[in-house]
Amino acid sequence: MAAGPYNYSYIFKYIIIGDMGVGKSCLLHQFTEKKFMADCPHTIGVEFGTRIIEVSGQKIKLQIWDTAGQERFRAVTRSYYRGAAGALMVYDITRRSTYNHLSSWLTDARNLTNPNTVIFLIGNKSDLEAQRDVTYEEAKQFADENECSAKTGDNVEDAFLDTAKKIYQNIQDGSLDLNAAESGVQHKPATPRNPLNTDQTPSKEGCAC
Amino acid sequence: MFLVSNTGFLNAHLLPGGCLKRESHLSNGFKGSVVAWLSLADSRGIFINRDGNVPVEKLRQREMKWLDMFENWEKWMSKRFKKVKERCRKGIPPSLRSRAWQYLCGSKFLMDHNTGRYEEYLRQKGDPRWIEDIKKDLHRQFPLHEMFQARGGTGTHAYTIHNPHEGYCQAQGPIAAVLLMHMPAEQAFWCLVSICEKYLPGYYSPGLEAVQLDGDVLFGLLKRSSPSIYKHLKKQRVEPMLYMTEWFMCIFSRTLPWTSVLRVWDMFFCEGVKVLFRIAIVIVRIGLPDSSVLAQCPSMYETIDKLRHIPSHLLEEGFLSTESLRLNITERDMEKEHQKQVQKRKAEREAKSKGPKKTKNKIKS
Ligand SMILES: Nc1nc2c(ncn2[C@@H]2O[C@H](COP(=O)(O)OP(=O)(O)OP(=O)(O)O)[C@@H](O)[C@H]2O)c(=O)[nH]1
Ligand SMILES: [Mg+2]
Repeated sequence: MAAGPYNYSYIFKYIIIGDMGVGKSCLLHQFTEKKFMADCPHTIGVEFGTRIIEVSGQKIKLQIWDTAGQERFRAVTRSYYRGAAGALMVYDITRRSTYNHLSSWLTDARNLTNPNTVIFLIGNKSDLEAQRDVTYEEAKQFADENECSAKTGDNVEDAFLDTAKKIYQNIQDGSLDLNAAESGVQHKPATPRNPLNTDQTPSKEGCAC
Repeated sequence: MFLVSNTGFLNAHLLPGGCLKRESHLSNGFKGSVVAWLSLADSRGIFINRDGNVPVEKLRQREMKWLDMFENWEKWMSKRFKKVKERCRKGIPPSLRSRAWQYLCGSKFLMDHNTGRYEEYLRQKGDPRWIEDIKKDLHRQFPLHEMFQARGGTGTHAYTIHNPHEGYCQAQGPIAAVLLMHMPAEQAFWCLVSICEKYLPGYYSPGLEAVQLDGDVLFGLLKRSSPSIYKHLKKQRVEPMLYMTEWFMCIFSRTLPWTSVLRVWDMFFCEGVKVLFRIAIVIVRIGLPDSSVLAQCPSMYETIDKLRHIPSHLLEEGFLSTESLRLNITERDMEKEHQKQVQKRKAEREAKSKGPKKTKNKIKS
């Protein structure tokens, strides 16, 4: 995929949060592999995924942290919010409880990230229209949101890309300070940092899940 | 009788031809376990019998020895534990594995002294908190069986009733699945009880304190056994919880090739959590074998990727168990490190409660 280790100008850190079973890992898999993983096992702790995207002609590497949704893991996963440039907050449109819990996820996201972190709401499983339990309109009132389906792939790309665009915009207009310790964005030099490294094999950029 | 008679081919590779008769199981205990078997085995593409390395004659000898031990189990455990340990390290003969696990972990004793308890749990109503979590899980990869499952709509949940405080943790799913592949539900239930309460107490409780503590212990042991890897991990702030959580909480069932899982479990049931530390150290060393590999990992992401995606041919049961026994880390080292981390946490807690002090970086040196 990538020709060299620094074939991109920025790295953005994302976290994906939300109740267990809402489809966080499936979204990540759909985004990185363009496939639906129906039998996705529970995330125990955290999983990682990465993909390079392009925003306004700039290559950006997304470093995505997919967290376990079960309540008892939160004591641990809370420490992963730090330094995230984007937070994808996911609920399942067929299970109202996952929607009701958003406020608590949002509280964590607000408290544990920096003020410029872009928080993006996702209603997943839009393919299950018949089982819908949360209407589009009410979710819209809660926040600007995006309904998508990790199964069909509908809108998944947009969720990740729109978040990146917003972060990039924040960099451009100066509201996101790249030098701040925990901005969640790293600027990468165009040339490899270590020219003495004789290892020619490009580092693997594939999905880590 | 086979675990699942209509899928005998799956079990055949675990059951060398012509061996002793398999212990009889209640067939109704295995609905769903086929699925788990398939998914566990499938995901790693391991249908090859590596136990085949042990010649049939030898295996029969081992079986005789194990049968002999079962005859006088208490005596063996109290007087000749070293020998028992040695035999577990060599791998328990597949045909006797189920029974051996139950003897080793004391679940047989628990079950014999709690006649009817399990049935009773199944009849009781579960705490709606856990039932909700389990319901969400029913369609998931690992079959959660009646041991966890709601029955007849009333909502039952044997383990959460047995231990209402701990409730249900999704990391218990894979463990239950491995157990259910070897034994009927009631036996598996008591094994699970033993694992969660005796072997890994606190692992599945809200907050995962015990796992975090063991993460720190592992890190301390790495410092001792593999200083350059330790330095690398510390520099990149690769906290132990980023790679060891699933290893420890699922007792490697989602990490290792299937035959290795069984070998690790054989040792684990005999020696306990120490086995997990040894295996974890070996895996870390396999994943980050030398400085050239470390140099390929400019950031924590590459490092974690190396640790979490080790090609399964490098995790062969024989290699893994030999390496884990060759480590120059003694049980005493582990106990000392454990004490050290316990003290450290205690001191941190006290400092916190005394006054608002800056929280320290979670990685301990
Ligand atoms: N129909 C449908 N099913 C989905 C979709 N996304 C995920 N699923 C299913 O929902 C279940 C849970 O998906 P996961 O991605 O594992 O959920 P998670 O949020 O990562 O769960 P935890 O790791 O436990 O926190 C799986 O059985 C998926 O097959 C979707 O868009 N449509
Ligand atoms: Mg997940």
